[in-house]
Amino acid sequence: MSDPQADASRSAPLPHLQMVNVWKRFGEGERQTVAVRNVDLSIAPGEFVTLIGPSGCGKSTLFSMIAGLLPPDADGSVLLGGKVQQDGQLLGKVSFMPQKDLLFPWRTVLDNATLALEVEGMPKNKARARAEALFPEFGLKGFERHYPHQLSGGMRQRVALMRTFLFERDLILLDEPFGALDALTRAMMQRWLLDIWAKHRRTVLFITHDIDEAIFLGDKVVVMTARPGTVKCEERITLPRPRDGDIVTTPEFTSIKRKLLAIVEEESMKTFAAAS
Amino acid sequence: MSSSIKQGVAAALFAAIAGVSAIGSAAAADPVSVRLKWVAQAQFAGVYVAKAKGFYEAGGLDVTINPGGPNVNVETLVASGADTFGVASGTEGVLYAREKGLPLVAIGMSQQITPFAYVTYNETGINSVKDFKGKRVATWMVGPQYTLYSVLAAEGLKQDEVNIVSQPFSMQPFIDKQFDVATVTLYNELNTLKEQGITDIKIFMPDDSGVTTQQDAIVTSEKMIKEKPEQVQAFLDATLKGWKYAFEHKAEAVDIVMAAGSGLERKHQELMLDEIERVMTAKSGTTEGLGYIDMKSIETVQADLIKFGAMKTPVDLKAAFDSAFWAKVPDADKKM
Amino acid sequence: MNLSALARSPYASVVYVAVAWLVLVPLFSISPRYLPPLGTVIADARSVWPDLVAGFWRTLVETVLGFVAGTILGVGFGIAFAYSRLLERALFPIFVALQTVPVIAFGAIVVIWFGNTIMAKVVIALYLAFFPVAVNTLRGLELADPQRIALMRSFGASRLQLFLKLSLPTALPNILIGMKLAVALSIAGAVVGEWFGDTVGLGVMLLQALYFEQIPRVWVLIIACGLLGTLLYGVLAILERRYVWWRPD
Repeated sequence: MSDPQADASRSAPLPHLQMVNVWKRFGEGERQTVAVRNVDLSIAPGEFVTLIGPSGCGKSTLFSMIAGLLPPDADGSVLLGGKVQQDGQLLGKVSFMPQKDLLFPWRTVLDNATLALEVEGMPKNKARARAEALFPEFGLKGFERHYPHQLSGGMRQRVALMRTFLFERDLILLDEPFGALDALTRAMMQRWLLDIWAKHRRTVLFITHDIDEAIFLGDKVVVMTARPGTVKCEERITLPRPRDGDIVTTPEFTSIKRKLLAIVEEESMKTFAAAS
Repeated sequence: MSSSIKQGVAAALFAAIAGVSAIGSAAAADPVSVRLKWVAQAQFAGVYVAKAKGFYEAGGLDVTINPGGPNVNVETLVASGADTFGVASGTEGVLYAREKGLPLVAIGMSQQITPFAYVTYNETGINSVKDFKGKRVATWMVGPQYTLYSVLAAEGLKQDEVNIVSQPFSMQPFIDKQFDVATVTLYNELNTLKEQGITDIKIFMPDDSGVTTQQDAIVTSEKMIKEKPEQVQAFLDATLKGWKYAFEHKAEAVDIVMAAGSGLERKHQELMLDEIERVMTAKSGTTEGLGYIDMKSIETVQADLIKFGAMKTPVDLKAAFDSAFWAKVPDADKKM
Repeated sequence: MNLSALARSPYASVVYVAVAWLVLVPLFSISPRYLPPLGTVIADARSVWPDLVAGFWRTLVETVLGFVAGTILGVGFGIAFAYSRLLERALFPIFVALQTVPVIAFGAIVVIWFGNTIMAKVVIALYLAFFPVAVNTLRGLELADPQRIALMRSFGASRLQLFLKLSLPTALPNILIGMKLAVALSIAGAVVGEWFGDTVGLGVMLLQALYFEQIPRVWVLIIACGLLGTLLYGVLAILERRYVWWRPD
């Protein structure tokens, strides 16, 4: 068969996000530092990909490039739905949630949640109505008129997530959203996030420090090397879904964890050696 | 020039302060203004009376009275045309203004004798200006010091034989006996001392030492004299007539001043008007008439100022002090 | 009525000062030249009550107009400086230089331009109020969190949206700080402005009281100016508590 359309339909579906030979270098000449080198990564539609790596490996730089906040160097490209994205074109196309909740203290919880919708130009009433519908699901019912400083850390994080979800983009970037939470809250938030994801089926790229979290959440775990960061390996997680808390004690989970831990530790040692 | 800046700035600010226009709206056509050297008080009774009794109006003038203050330089405002007329500092002030090249002209001099005096407590044993030698003598260093220098020179004292110190605008240090001698004006600080119950004092008048410096010059600009001499004449006529009326109807004059000012004490104003009458009707003020310009005393003052280094070069006194308008004021308006 | 709450209220401090005044002046037989008895000061205030009310009102109007105009201009220039380095480099040094010119020197020019209108006082109050507002607006706008800017940009926000939804609210607490400084300076500006010639106003009355050495009157005017300042500051504090209660984090 030589029909190209038939060819395309037979092959795997087009990746949602694809990074081809992405580099990010800062500075010139001898003082040049490389933050990210030669990253090749591809994420399928609806996939939940988690990304781990030693601190300072360039994860955040990579994220900024995917969010469109930072252009990749000219020798690489970022493709969204198969289309190459030029400088700044990604802005407004990706739902991006940074590490900190970054709520606006002068806005109520409801108005924080609708921020992205307002920026898009949706009338306030409509945006609020849409957000209000999500409040029970995000466990924030009754807190619509509260201000961020009146909420706990976990609640603030959920508000930030709601804001990210309401910015309805198929690709969601989450940068260590639960990093600052205590272990118990964090475990609850992880299960809750999976529920939400199962319901809305968006493509998620999730950065974390925590190997348990990466395995528990992901369809695929991507491990980054020490700086300058690149993809060290990818591990497909075949644990059945829906996953509950007990899964972390299963032998399957433990064996994946052991394997990944060895790789991450090796990279962490490199960082440690380079620093000393 | 200044008017175009004024309009430009005004326009720029207008949007921000639109509400002000109603409060600060302008008066009728071809108005003139008179700038006083201080806020409304009996020192300017003649001007307020002339306005209130309609003397200006009768002379065809629509006069706005602009009060002054510590930061207001009447000479500059009148010379620049911002104000048409002024009640300015006095002989020295007019001389300095002319030396600086300001086109300012005095058309009358209100106070005929030096309104400053030197006071000392009886207990100091100072009985004449000659006794100032070696004593702490306080005076205001904003002009009146030259009068003191002239008085000392007239009495045969050198400046460095006297410990001259700067006097603040309060009599408290003198009351606390920090100075042996202090300067007062006859129409205010002297009254303040009396009000405090301080009567065991001696007073030395510069005129007794032969030093006369006329104060409260009635001034206008060269431009006005050239272009609108009839307005200048009308203003001087009405102002002197106002003074004469004020001295003849003191209670009414004080009423008028009280109404023009804010928060004034009647007692202060009555005392002030009495003293102002004394210095305005002294010497030529009675023999020649109110507002007389004493060219002889002015020549002496200029010579002294040059001697003390306060002025570098003499100015043309005929151009600085113009008696022509005063001479044309009817005797009925200026003679007491 | 809860007595301890009452004792802590800001109004109570007025009572404390008054009581201290009433007790201490006779106790230490303080000379009335230094501090007259409270009764004398109150009696003096009553003797010029209509003039005092008129003066208070006039100075209040001058202050408020100068303050509002100064705030509008200050915020405007603060914004312009934040978004244009060129403008900041060109104009900011001039404003700094202007601030070092004593208001006395500047005031003489204002009188030549505006005469003895209320505008002259308003302009002097504006001149003093403008600078702290401009500086604090600029500083406040520079406080906008780069991460929040990145977040807004990832939502596709325009420059105007960034300004209205992020930079301006971030700057508001600082702008309020500038306004609180400005309100005190506006009063000083209005009072000094009256010293360039006027017939009504607290500044005029203060000048007369100083000239005639009426010490009780000076105290009356100190209290009146203090009241004026407290009143305006209080209004700002209420506005702040209601509308600008957050702090940059």
